[in-house]
Amino acid sequence: MIKFLFLLVITLFSSVRSQGNTLVLLDNQVIKETHSLFFKSLQDRGYSLTYKIADDASLILSKYGEYLYENLIIFAPSVVEFGGNLNVDTITQFIDNGGNVLIAGSESTGDVLRELASEVGFEVDEEGAFVIDHLNFDVSDEGQHTKLLVSSENLIDAPVIVGTKKDVAPLLYQGTGILADSENPLVLPLLTADSTAYSYQPDQPIKEYPHAVGKDTVLIAGLQARNNARVVFSGSLSFFSDEFFTSSIENAQNGVKSPKSGNEDVATAISQWVFKEHGRLRVKSVNHHKASEKQPPHDYTIMDDVVYTIGIEIYDNGKWKPFTANDVQLEFVRIDPFVRMTLQSNPKGVYEAQFKIPDVYGVYQFKVDYDRVGFTRLYSITQVSVRPLEHTQYERFIDCAYPYYAGAFSMMLGVFVFSIVFLHMKDDEKKTKGE
Amino acid sequence: MSQAGTKKGAVSKINKNVAINSLIVFVVLLLAWVAGFASRLFAVIRFESIIHEFDPWFNYRATAYMVKHGFYNFLNWFDERAWYPLGRIVGGTVYPGLMLTSGSIHYILHLLHINVHIRDICVFLAPIFSGLTAISTYFLTKELWSTGAGLFAACFIAIVPGYISRSVAGSYDNEGIAIFALQFTYFLWIKSVKTGSVFWAVAASLSYFYMVSAWGGYVFIINLIPLHVFVLLLMGRFSNRLFTSYTTFYILGLVMSMQIPFVGFQPIRTSEHMAAAGVFALLFAVAVLKYLQSMLSKSEFKSLVIFGGLIAAAVVFVTVVLLTYAGYIAPWSGRFYSLWDTGYAKIHIPIIASVSEHQPTTWFSFFFDLHVLIPTFPAGLWYCIKNVNDERVFVILYALSAVYFAGVMVRLMLTLTPVVCMLSGVAFSVILELFVKDEDSNSHPDTENDETSHGGKRLYDKAGKVPKIIKHESKEQDAIGPNLRSIAAVVFVLLLMLFAVHCTWVTSNAYSSPSIVLASYGSDGTRQILDDFREAYFWLSQNTADDARVMSWWDYGYQIAGMANRTTLVDNNTWNNSHIALVGKAMSSNESAAYEIMTALDVDYVLVIFGGVIGYSGDDINKFLWMVRIAEGEHPKDIKESDYFTEHGEFRVDAEGSPTLLNCLMYKLSYYKFGELKLDYRTASGYDRTRNAVIGNKDIQLTYLEEAYTTEHWLVRIYRVKKPDEFNRPRIPVANRVIKSTFVSKKNSKRKKGVIKNKPVIVKGKKPAVKTQ
Repeated sequence: MIKFLFLLVITLFSSVRSQGNTLVLLDNQVIKETHSLFFKSLQDRGYSLTYKIADDASLILSKYGEYLYENLIIFAPSVVEFGGNLNVDTITQFIDNGGNVLIAGSESTGDVLRELASEVGFEVDEEGAFVIDHLNFDVSDEGQHTKLLVSSENLIDAPVIVGTKKDVAPLLYQGTGILADSENPLVLPLLTADSTAYSYQPDQPIKEYPHAVGKDTVLIAGLQARNNARVVFSGSLSFFSDEFFTSSIENAQNGVKSPKSGNEDVATAISQWVFKEHGRLRVKSVNHHKASEKQPPHDYTIMDDVVYTIGIEIYDNGKWKPFTANDVQLEFVRIDPFVRMTLQSNPKGVYEAQFKIPDVYGVYQFKVDYDRVGFTRLYSITQVSVRPLEHTQYERFIDCAYPYYAGAFSMMLGVFVFSIVFLHMKDDEKKTKGE
Repeated sequence: MSQAGTKKGAVSKINKNVAINSLIVFVVLLLAWVAGFASRLFAVIRFESIIHEFDPWFNYRATAYMVKHGFYNFLNWFDERAWYPLGRIVGGTVYPGLMLTSGSIHYILHLLHINVHIRDICVFLAPIFSGLTAISTYFLTKELWSTGAGLFAACFIAIVPGYISRSVAGSYDNEGIAIFALQFTYFLWIKSVKTGSVFWAVAASLSYFYMVSAWGGYVFIINLIPLHVFVLLLMGRFSNRLFTSYTTFYILGLVMSMQIPFVGFQPIRTSEHMAAAGVFALLFAVAVLKYLQSMLSKSEFKSLVIFGGLIAAAVVFVTVVLLTYAGYIAPWSGRFYSLWDTGYAKIHIPIIASVSEHQPTTWFSFFFDLHVLIPTFPAGLWYCIKNVNDERVFVILYALSAVYFAGVMVRLMLTLTPVVCMLSGVAFSVILELFVKDEDSNSHPDTENDETSHGGKRLYDKAGKVPKIIKHESKEQDAIGPNLRSIAAVVFVLLLMLFAVHCTWVTSNAYSSPSIVLASYGSDGTRQILDDFREAYFWLSQNTADDARVMSWWDYGYQIAGMANRTTLVDNNTWNNSHIALVGKAMSSNESAAYEIMTALDVDYVLVIFGGVIGYSGDDINKFLWMVRIAEGEHPKDIKESDYFTEHGEFRVDAEGSPTLLNCLMYKLSYYKFGELKLDYRTASGYDRTRNAVIGNKDIQLTYLEEAYTTEHWLVRIYRVKKPDEFNRPRIPVANRVIKSTFVSKKNSKRKKGVIKNKPVIVKGKKPAVKTQ
């Protein structure tokens, strides 16, 4: 009976969608309360959160070479140095091993977070610097114009990361600016400031040119590393706070109003993206064969008709489902692509291409490289060799060579007849001589 | 009765002589075979039964493939592990004669239930064929001069270093069987010219077919034989024998040579083969003229010859030029240009010039490879010119052309060696006849009589005019006293002994190293085996993925494929210059430029040979300038040879070397971590023994590659190329950061607590107002 109950409990728990273990590092316990809505939405989605103060001497990410957590949230902007085993190196290693990190800074971002940001391709503006916008600030601003209202137009154009941005109310933001590395192709500016914004210390006269001005001021930056680990760095911790989630907004300049800011929607969407609930693709199956066969051959011959199919799935609500798109391309590559074509999709998420192998032998690769903003990189390589014709596969008789065939055979016949005649004649002569 | 008795006695004496002669011939040839075989075994005895060098590894791999998969699969073999990603059609780009020969030996032995491993057949094939070469040389020389000369020639070719260099046990290469085919073809050709029989001509063309299937050097035959015919025509020695033999040989040889896939249509479409066709046509023209000559009057014939000849020559010339322009006949290939102009390859085709065996021959190597044969062979040549006949014209032409070609390329010493042996054999035989034989004739006057009386039958296996010469000489010989005679004989025997000693010494010291296993000798004579190559290849085969792609300079392509069984980018079959240039460019660029090339070519590992630790001079740094030159030929914008020299035009690896060199990939891979290595107490760290210099760049950092394996003596170094996704997240280097921070960790093993700014600190037992330290 107890066993049965136990099983029942297990089945019950397993039916609850469980996401990964998540470590939450905080400046102090207060943040847990001030950001309870955000944490609750995570818990509702099945994350098990472990709260720790960031300077805790017992902090640890991995044990015996295995990571205890899949995700890391650092809501401790003023941490100068992490406690325990955590430091920039261990966290970057965590990212390199596929862990996802969500970091929130503030105007007084600590050194360790700056280092960490530089490791993933962002820079956080100097200490004390706020993003200031004298045209787009909330009425509740205290006079320094740092509590910005950012239009949802400034969100990155990728629904998979930030959700549909059409019906999203303006976003409240108060914090420092981020500089994204322009040479880093992996960095995504998830939310940028308006063109009228700049990042500087509000209570100081501007002596130097600000580090970030206008649209270059990134408010929330994201990075999808090449191993598909995701990192999001927000310059504002309060962006995720209950206060910003729930407060009504009103632009002090043009009076645009909304009973509720768009923060909650966007923050939820971003957390879903960074913890890989959204935009995860995988190759389910790859198959290739000659048009007339079913199994992949040992090698192809030039000019063969070949069929290539690839099944692609997307992670959706805890399940892998067929992924449909109309822009997946296939390349048939031998150093350079010889064939490049769009794969035909069907509702089952299976993409198919049929083409003729070029008249060039060599070692080729079927290459599908589907790299779209917000989605994990889908990269599939299948190597096949394409051989030239075998000695039996050439034409046996060539039409235009028939005269030559005729010539050869008539020659043979001629020699045969000639030798008979020649011998015969000789015989005759002898006979005449003998006679 | 008595008459009959003497006749009988004479016949039995003759029979006895013939029997003794043939016994001597048989024993000498057998001993030559055994001696040739035995002196080629140094490498096997010192090291082991192993395939040598570079090309033999491919031949061995191909043979093993053929034995395993059968001939037709071999013919259609598309090797996707070579020349990645181009692949190589092996069946169509190889001379299959060698593989077929050892494959059929293997087949026959297995039919007889003698289970020999194919590797052993491959190792011992060349020594066995050296015996066959000796025998065919004997027959050829016998046709040209006499049995004695033939025996001398056979003994010479069995042990001469110029031929041993290509045919020691383990040197499983085309030349090993091709020299036999060459000599045998020439023998059959001479035989057919002499007899004018279709049978011998057919045999010659069959042997020619075997030669074509075995070695690219068949072009030598198909040019030398027409040259022979042409010169005979010029000398007015046209005969129906010549007509029959050449026409039969040419047509059959042409048709059969085109059956080899690698040769294909070349015999009718390339300039190298046009001479043979031209002579074929000329021979017909001459034959027709001869026929007309018998029909027409003299004046008619004269005008016909002049007009007809001029018109025919013009027509032939114009057709050839037109066909060449139309692209039906390929112009001379680069390798052939380099035969006429030794500087040609250096300027236009660095890949040909880069091979050491394509360098011009030094005087030293003539003596080294041929020893006493070099001074004696002109004497033999002189005798041949003096007593010229149809077949001796051939050997004269053979000698002249081979001497020229051997002077152009070291490698062609090989074609010179047989003719030198033959002509030296002639010279020695004449000299010995001069000094030794007279005694015999004095002691056995009967024999002399018998010989002269039966001279017409040529029982003593002498070519036509020889007996007369001897008679002529024997008159002079009377002046030579017995003392002088014996002194001369002793001197010549001494010379021959010195020759044999030299041959053995050269074979043992110069030509018996497998070059994949090195040996070094300590001061006390102990031998140390350096087995780094096989160590590295074995590591590759055990520790890398089956389809891993290894980039190395082309010299090592065949060995990597043969021993490690991994995919290579370029190998010793240097058919695609631009692909090699691409590898050369990667080796001579800096690391990041090289990385682009390497990712484009999907390279997984890079293998370099580095001899700086043990002082091995054949390493990649010493070959490096060739890589630069070959790369420059295809990518002149990116690679410039002058960048790799110092301002004074020196190639230096030390601190004064050019910065381009010190930062190129090859330099970095060769000397990675070498700066930390101190070889002994007297030298500085990073001292390169091969180039006797302390390296200029001791602190080498690799970004895109990492060291995967280095062998015991650092001879082979293997690096793994990192994949693009290993550069997970491009960080912002400290120097490029806009906002500088000076962050120093304060944590240590005891104090593990972190730091948070503005954190309220509670200290027990003290008032909060007191500032804590």
